Amino acid sequence: MDLSQIIQFTFSGLTLGSIYALMAVSLTIVYNASKVISFSQGEFFVFGALMMVTLTSIGVAIPIALVLSLVMAAALGALIERMLIKPILGSSVGTIVTMTIAISLALRGSALLTWGRSSFVSQPFSQGEPLRILGASLQLQVLWICGATGAVLLLIWLLFERTKVGLAMRACSDNSLGASLVGISVRRVNFFAWIFGSSMGALAGILVAPLYFVQYASGVMPMLSGFVAMAIGGMTSTLGAVIAGMVLGFLEAYGIGFISSQFADVIIFTVLIVTLLVRTRLLAGEASSDEGGM
Amino acid sequence: MKTKFLLLFVVLLLAAYPIVMGKSSPYSVAIMIVLGVYVILAVSLDVLVGFAGQISLGHAAFFAIGAYTSGIFTAKYDLPPILALLIGQAFSGSLAWLIGVSVLALRGYYLAMATLGLSAIVYSLIVGFQSVTGGASGLRDIPPFSLFGFSFDEYVYYYYVVWAVVCLVVGSSLLLVKSSFGRTLTAIHGDETAAGTLGIYCDKIKTSVFVFASMFAALAGSLYAHYTSFLAPDDFGIFTSIHILIMVFLGGIGTIYGPALGAIFLKLLPEFTHSFRDYELLVNGLILITVLVFTQKGLWGMFLAMRKRFMEAFRSSGVRKREEEMDEEPVI
Amino acid sequence: MKKTLLVLLFLASILLFSLSPITPAYSADKVVKIGGVYPLTGYLSWLGEYYKKAAILQVDLINKAGGVADYKLELVSYDDQSSPEEGTRAALRLIQSDKVVAITGTATAAITGAVSSIANKYKVPAVMSSGYDLRPDKEPFTFNTAHPTFFAVARPFMYLKKQGISKVGLLMPIGSLGEIGTANAQKAASQYGLTIVAEEKFDIKSPDVTAQLAKLRASNPEAIFSFVTGEPAALVARNMQQLKLDIPLIVSHGNATPGFLKLTSGLTTVKLVVPSGEIMAPDSLSATDPNKAIIREFNKLHMERYQEPANYFSGLLSDAVLLVVQGIRISGSVDPEKIRDGIEKIKSFPAIGGVYNMSPTDHYGTRIEDMIVLTIKDGKWQLIQ
Repeated sequence: MDLSQIIQFTFSGLTLGSIYALMAVSLTIVYNASKVISFSQGEFFVFGALMMVTLTSIGVAIPIALVLSLVMAAALGALIERMLIKPILGSSVGTIVTMTIAISLALRGSALLTWGRSSFVSQPFSQGEPLRILGASLQLQVLWICGATGAVLLLIWLLFERTKVGLAMRACSDNSLGASLVGISVRRVNFFAWIFGSSMGALAGILVAPLYFVQYASGVMPMLSGFVAMAIGGMTSTLGAVIAGMVLGFLEAYGIGFISSQFADVIIFTVLIVTLLVRTRLLAGEASSDEGGM
Repeated sequence: MKTKFLLLFVVLLLAAYPIVMGKSSPYSVAIMIVLGVYVILAVSLDVLVGFAGQISLGHAAFFAIGAYTSGIFTAKYDLPPILALLIGQAFSGSLAWLIGVSVLALRGYYLAMATLGLSAIVYSLIVGFQSVTGGASGLRDIPPFSLFGFSFDEYVYYYYVVWAVVCLVVGSSLLLVKSSFGRTLTAIHGDETAAGTLGIYCDKIKTSVFVFASMFAALAGSLYAHYTSFLAPDDFGIFTSIHILIMVFLGGIGTIYGPALGAIFLKLLPEFTHSFRDYELLVNGLILITVLVFTQKGLWGMFLAMRKRFMEAFRSSGVRKREEEMDEEPVI
Repeated sequence: MKKTLLVLLFLASILLFSLSPITPAYSADKVVKIGGVYPLTGYLSWLGEYYKKAAILQVDLINKAGGVADYKLELVSYDDQSSPEEGTRAALRLIQSDKVVAITGTATAAITGAVSSIANKYKVPAVMSSGYDLRPDKEPFTFNTAHPTFFAVARPFMYLKKQGISKVGLLMPIGSLGEIGTANAQKAASQYGLTIVAEEKFDIKSPDVTAQLAKLRASNPEAIFSFVTGEPAALVARNMQQLKLDIPLIVSHGNATPGFLKLTSGLTTVKLVVPSGEIMAPDSLSATDPNKAIIREFNKLHMERYQEPANYFSGLLSDAVLLVVQGIRISGSVDPEKIRDGIEKIKSFPAIGGVYNMSPTDHYGTRIEDMIVLTIKDGKWQLIQ
């Protein structure tokens, strides 16, 4: 095992980790405000990426295409929230989860009809050679992803700490009944959270697509990894989601590198289960029993 | 009382089905076998999720364990299918107990995540231990189910084995949830802490339900293996677990009959939408959305609501007394 | 109340009982049905489309030429949704409902296995086109027009040997292709005197394999063999370019498609080696090649109808249909069991994938020399020796 290999594993971990982190953040935002885990987040990932591909292929400049794709994703998220999520917000968790799964099927079906079955190659944000350090190489796009994740974190921090909307979201997250008693419109907060969450998911897709290939069904795996990261990071903490995502990415890379590539999944999910158990038992002594985020 | 008539009619219908359809449409009999397998999966999950309140995205893991145990022991070691099935039951039961005592301390979304992890781990293990399970290329040459020397090679006969088991599973689930044990489950579902103060050993009970549900899932797996004669891990992953959970919610959680309907509905749906080809995925999603938005209690709720409306229509024809009897009857 | 309930149940029963209408296999117009199980949705959907198009075209061509015996062919196809369970269901539907005399199609060993199990149970010939490992003694009704996987590995190894390369690293996917790839690579290496210096595995859904490539590089391979198709193959190539691992990369024989050209459009330094069938280089075939005329004709017609050239997969399905028809001709019957016997008797039958010679122990019928090796130059396929 030489240094360049270890650095390559680190770079690989950084690449994987940043993808998972971004997905986890988008899931956490939605969950934070509405206590809903959206199984349709993967489709916004795909939607954002494919929209980017379509726009850039007809000549739209990357920054404009980026903004347009985000806006469209946000609009789509808004539409879905108003028409499908709001009506069932009072129901059980299971019903809501099933609804988001149904929505993801419908969205995936629409993507299939719009873009077809083939995979698309997306333009990286900056053309250039991968970064080379001591024999290991890192694609430039990964730096963009890390940068964007950092910017998003900053934005979220500003939002939650400095704006009224953010404060309202935190209040809803802590105690929605109490929040509504002080005049916060829980429905509006949910709406905003969905829009924000969908654009985050789309952003993740847009940033990640240049690293590999996107097609109508590509959103599922990143979403699952996002779930795992969100669960490990503590369901409500955005910073936790990012850290957990990065840890997961590094775990996978190092696991593949140092242990074996065969059972990478087993390692990751075992870590997940152990983490959840440890966290629950640690909190077992507290007055408010951890209802597993429900 | 009325429900008993319904059940009897349904059982008679099921018994008559292959006799009537067997010659003219053997395909429908074959499809009914798959439906039966998934009814077992959905109903057993309902006991766990709907009554004990333990959300599980890992049901397919036990489906896989039952299927592969039966498959491996009959295909590779020539064991009699019934013995392989019992081994599968023992294996899944013990595994479920071990997992139950550790993981069921989790609640809500944490439990969902952990059970999701279980699905993923079992899938990985099946693929990884290729020499035993056939890996991703699949396990071949599984013989048909046989009992006392009679081989259920023909689907028309195997149908009866499968649906007999379905009745067994549905029957025992109904008995379980209607009994005092069932009321204990509802108490735990409502509020575990409160139940604890009433002297209920929540952990022990949760684990027993988990074992109960998982063993039934494994049973479904064993039946499935002898139906397809071939197993591939792709049919037993996370998505299968999610699929079964959708059946439960679609049908109406916590009703036993509902998830059975949900299983039948979701498994039959492709038969009607496959002609949509590229539109199929979209159509499936839209149908699911429609059912969820308009019937929050799922398909079973829809059925009950329709039944009530029909009752209203007959109110004038003087069957008031019988309706009152109906209204007093509990939902299940 | 009881009355209405019974009425409702009656209606439901009618629905259930009308699940599958009865369809005879031969109607008054003397039609014989050939079944197709193709992945039209799911992760294999890109492949299913090529299969279906080729099958439809070939069936039309045969019907235009008069059909077979006094029968017209009809293709009945269903989507297996890239899932073995749905593959089982599609096969059952074709056999029991539509009463097809043979089944063609599908991809991956897993789905093929499901279809093959049903076909053998009901004694209907299944002419498949995938990496499924045939065992004619246990599954006498299954045939395969895809070249045996061993050929698809040995042929490029032959090429490497000619180039003076002897050390190969393996980067295999976790899954059926990976297991098959490794086993065949080891066999081919020992046959041609090459050495496998290292092996790594990866998840085909993963967006990054640089860690595995770094580990492989430590053993100084002169070429890498990754038995993957489509996106993962392009990903490996891209990561190799990223790591400046400028050695030949052999991928699976499933990559000879226009889609793969699109996926690898940005790659310049990696030398891709793709084994395939002669259909991919219709203009470079020698004049004495018995398949040349058939390949050129099919390619031309495919281009006319679908505005894209035929590829390796189109060839596989066209051959499957041709083999079934030839089986009908040889046996003089449309009874599935007799057709199977007919297919097994096929000798010196030139088609697209090669000149088929079937036997009770060989249900592939092709030879290693029927395969060619391609590389990608300027976004186009190029034949290399």
